[in-house]
Amino acid sequence: MVPLSWYLILAAALFAVGIFGVLARRNAIAILMGIELMLNAVNLNLLAFWRYLWSDNLTGVVFVIMVLAVAAAEVAVGLALIISIYRRRSTVVAEEIDLLKW
Amino acid sequence: MEAWILSLVTFFPVVGAMLLLFIRKEREAAIRWAALMTAVVTFLLSLLMLSGFDSSDPDLQMVVRLPWFSIGDLQIEYFLGVDGLSILLVLLTTFLTVLSIISTWTAIVERVREFMIFFLLLETGMVGVFLGMDLFLFYVFWEFTLVPMYFLIGVWGGERRMYAAIKFFLYTMAGSIFMLLAIIWLGLEGGTFSVPDLIEAQAIPGNLQFWLFLAFAAAFAIKVPMWPLHSWLPDAHVEAPTAGSVILAGVLLKMGTYGFLRFNLGLFPEASIRLAPWVALFAVIGIIYGAAVAYAQKDVKKLVAYSSVSHLGFVMLGLFALNIQGLQGGIVQMINHGLSTGALFLIVGMLYERRHTRDMDAFGGLWRVMPIYAGLTLIVVLSSMGLPGLNGFVGEFTILIGSFGSEAIGSVWFTIVAVVGVILAAVYMLYMFQKLFLGPLDNDKNKVLLDINRREIFTLVPIVILIFWIGLYPRPFFGLTEASVAKVVELVSSAAITMR
Amino acid sequence: MSSSDLLSVAPVLIISVWAILLLLLDLFIKNKGLTASLAAAGVAAALVVVIVRFGSDQVAFSGMIVADTFSDFLQIVILITALLGIAVAYDYLRRMNMERGEYYTLMLFTVAGMLLMSLAGDLILIFLAIELLSVPLYVLSGFARPEKGSEEAAMKYFILGAFSSAFLVYGIALIFGSTGTTNMAGVAASIAGNHANLTLLTIAIPMLLVGLGFKVAAVPFHMWTPDVYQGAPSAAVAFMSVGAKVAGFAALLRIFVSALPELSQTWGPVVVAISAATMIWGNVAAIAQSNIKRMLAYSSIAHAGYILMALAAAADPSVSEEAVSAALFYLFAYLFSNLGAWTVVLALERSEGRGLLIEDYAGLGRRRPALALAMAIFMLSLIGVPPTVGLIGKFLLFRVTIDAGLTGLAIVGVVTSLISAYFYLGVVIKMYMGTGEPESRSEGWLNRSAGLTALVTFLLGVLPGPILILARSSGFLTP
Repeated sequence: MVPLSWYLILAAALFAVGIFGVLARRNAIAILMGIELMLNAVNLNLLAFWRYLWSDNLTGVVFVIMVLAVAAAEVAVGLALIISIYRRRSTVVAEEIDLLKW
Repeated sequence: MEAWILSLVTFFPVVGAMLLLFIRKEREAAIRWAALMTAVVTFLLSLLMLSGFDSSDPDLQMVVRLPWFSIGDLQIEYFLGVDGLSILLVLLTTFLTVLSIISTWTAIVERVREFMIFFLLLETGMVGVFLGMDLFLFYVFWEFTLVPMYFLIGVWGGERRMYAAIKFFLYTMAGSIFMLLAIIWLGLEGGTFSVPDLIEAQAIPGNLQFWLFLAFAAAFAIKVPMWPLHSWLPDAHVEAPTAGSVILAGVLLKMGTYGFLRFNLGLFPEASIRLAPWVALFAVIGIIYGAAVAYAQKDVKKLVAYSSVSHLGFVMLGLFALNIQGLQGGIVQMINHGLSTGALFLIVGMLYERRHTRDMDAFGGLWRVMPIYAGLTLIVVLSSMGLPGLNGFVGEFTILIGSFGSEAIGSVWFTIVAVVGVILAAVYMLYMFQKLFLGPLDNDKNKVLLDINRREIFTLVPIVILIFWIGLYPRPFFGLTEASVAKVVELVSSAAITMR
Repeated sequence: MSSSDLLSVAPVLIISVWAILLLLLDLFIKNKGLTASLAAAGVAAALVVVIVRFGSDQVAFSGMIVADTFSDFLQIVILITALLGIAVAYDYLRRMNMERGEYYTLMLFTVAGMLLMSLAGDLILIFLAIELLSVPLYVLSGFARPEKGSEEAAMKYFILGAFSSAFLVYGIALIFGSTGTTNMAGVAASIAGNHANLTLLTIAIPMLLVGLGFKVAAVPFHMWTPDVYQGAPSAAVAFMSVGAKVAGFAALLRIFVSALPELSQTWGPVVVAISAATMIWGNVAAIAQSNIKRMLAYSSIAHAGYILMALAAAADPSVSEEAVSAALFYLFAYLFSNLGAWTVVLALERSEGRGLLIEDYAGLGRRRPALALAMAIFMLSLIGVPPTVGLIGKFLLFRVTIDAGLTGLAIVGVVTSLISAYFYLGVVIKMYMGTGEPESRSEGWLNRSAGLTALVTFLLGVLPGPILILARSSGFLTP
């Protein structure tokens, strides 16, 4: 069977890709996707831990569902904000949203 | 009387300041009178305090001690008390406040109500510093004096008032933050913030005393100010309104020397003995430096400001002689400096009000147009330079005797250099007097100057009386301080014995 | 679950149910003043409930909720913040033409999140509470839309907020992996019993610090703060600059002091470093600001650093209780000084972001003496000068820091306080010594809020006793 550490490494890699997405991408939608990736890395971690180490209770699984739900709520608000900005400026590129000093 | 008199002396000005809020701000005369009455009553209350003072008792008197709040197991107290170290300074404060308020009668015309409120709040802060016997309470008063003084300089000051105000605030705060840390440390180690209890316990080991001494000294040395931490003083003095300068020189600087006397000597006697030569060194440098720089000034107010640096050097030298003469001389010299320098600032202020300049080159021969003014100035100048028969001599002479015979500072050279300082003081003071009053009356603007009026005479005469009193019959003043001073000296010398 | 379980979360229930009802009711309310009053009534009701049940420790919902005096104290702080937040928002929103009822509903939702944060006994709940408080705050930041600055602020806040919660939840996942539980008492027990995987925990701790560091605006996770504070509507900032910080510290203290005390050797030094960096950078950067909102933003960063001193001190078990109560008292003090300062900012702000430069405060001392006096009191309190509560707060913090042996950190604290005096006094100088004719209308609720906060700032500086006792009794975190 695949050892636990592989899952953890995969999750960490996913998380790192997500961070890279947030920091390096300029398109707001892509940044949002990066954040999603980070949250999914967390889910992967949780499931792996639950399956391999702590399958005697449901905490891990319940937590995953919570994270999914929260992620959905965040995306809803985030997309709404992006659309609102897009309507007025016709851009979603973060660098062009530069009225304030970053 | 015991229990409430000190609280009353401390907080009566606040009550007065509150009342001022209810007077419409257009009624300036009423505001001035109300403020003056508040100050007078405070002064009378302080005399009442004096009447109940037993000068043979070295300990704190008229003590009020109530729990204020507690932090963890540490009780912070509302703890006021007066002893021989502080009583003269309290009297000086209430006395000078009255005179300062009279001096503002025509000098302050803008925002009179705010000015008076700040002034009275300042008085509370200053009296609180001298009476607060809980370290935290002391710190609260100490820091609080910054706030009204900051406004007095910043709002009613001269051209560069903003710069001077913030410099004053930051400099003073820079020192006191380290004192705050030391206070916290003392409270944690000693389990109390009560100054007499901490002094009684003497539980601080020698090597730690060194650091705590430095932390307290940071706050006090800036306030005194000791060379080389004096650079805020000329700015603050020059920009402050006359009344502000009087209080600044007369009382606020004494908070620094008082701090050394009460806290550094009492709490850290070992460190005081170790560092006494260094303090004496800086004090002597200050004496000479202040005198030299004062001589170079063209602005009369700056001259007086630098003379403070020099005079306060004497006080520090006296305190760190660590013997009875030195300490007593130091205390009396604090009062002398408060009186004579306070008077000098009043005198400069009167001139400035008439001519709107303080440049010495613009004056000369004033003796002829303003004889009363000149006469009073002469007395004050002579007092400031230490002429026998006047108060300055008594203080400086006692200090010099003390430092000459002092074991702690170790070398007679300090005394010898200080004597040179006395001579220099005569030089720059007489130089100033000559520039202003002697010589030809060649400036047309000066020819029409009016001599000082009755109100102005009234602000100077009480000071002149005290100048003669202390100069001719200083016994009562020394008597008030004697017992407490002896106690401090005994404490220090017993620490010296354990050190060996 | 029992009915007493429900009682322990009663304030949260009241606020969230009320928020939903208000969302519907608002459709039929023409006068938005009524919406504001109703929202305030809901908050007041919750406040009464908290005060009534104060002091009864209770662990509810099988450890999910820990309602102890610590959480009660924080709930009181949060609810007072909310009341003041509503009061200052009412006048401001009307003047700025964004009087929409959702503002109050959104506020109530985030208040519910903050309350939940202080009650959380489980890491999952911490995560949920942080989202519940953050998501409405993102929207509130963008509430001034279609103003560009506000939209941008919302966007930045959202991206960095979501980014940081991802870190937080990753850290929580690692803790779960290490100990098999997300319950804080369980985590502590597992570590104490040597059942936990320490490697995973060592990775988790920085993750948690990143996530929560963003929320409380600690350096180096503070970049969003000045931009968001500048762009977002000032009323929302006034509220969140206190509320979000209180909630963030609730979580920090709860997690590190009650769940991870055994690892204080690991997180203690890190917190010391963050705290020092935050104090230094916050205060130094504030000097350069000409916009008062940005200045106060850096000031709020700096104050996060001061409160972090308490967390650093709490790493020493013998002073941890004192340290927590010092942090609580400081938060209480900060609530009034900081929210008060923002109230004055609100009073002077005019449309299109005018009136926000420190320059614009010139002459306020003549024009609006009472308002200027209030501002002066707030500034002095933020420096820590008597007779204001700021001094007492800092005194407590320095005390626990020195008690914990962190004298170096305390020195950084006092030196940065000195630096802060420079820019806070800059405002006072402008108000009293500058010349100018600041425009500001006198508005009832803003005046009342400024007056009340100034009064409390002063009174607590003179008579801090009762709140100190309260904070002291709240310093113990129920394990």
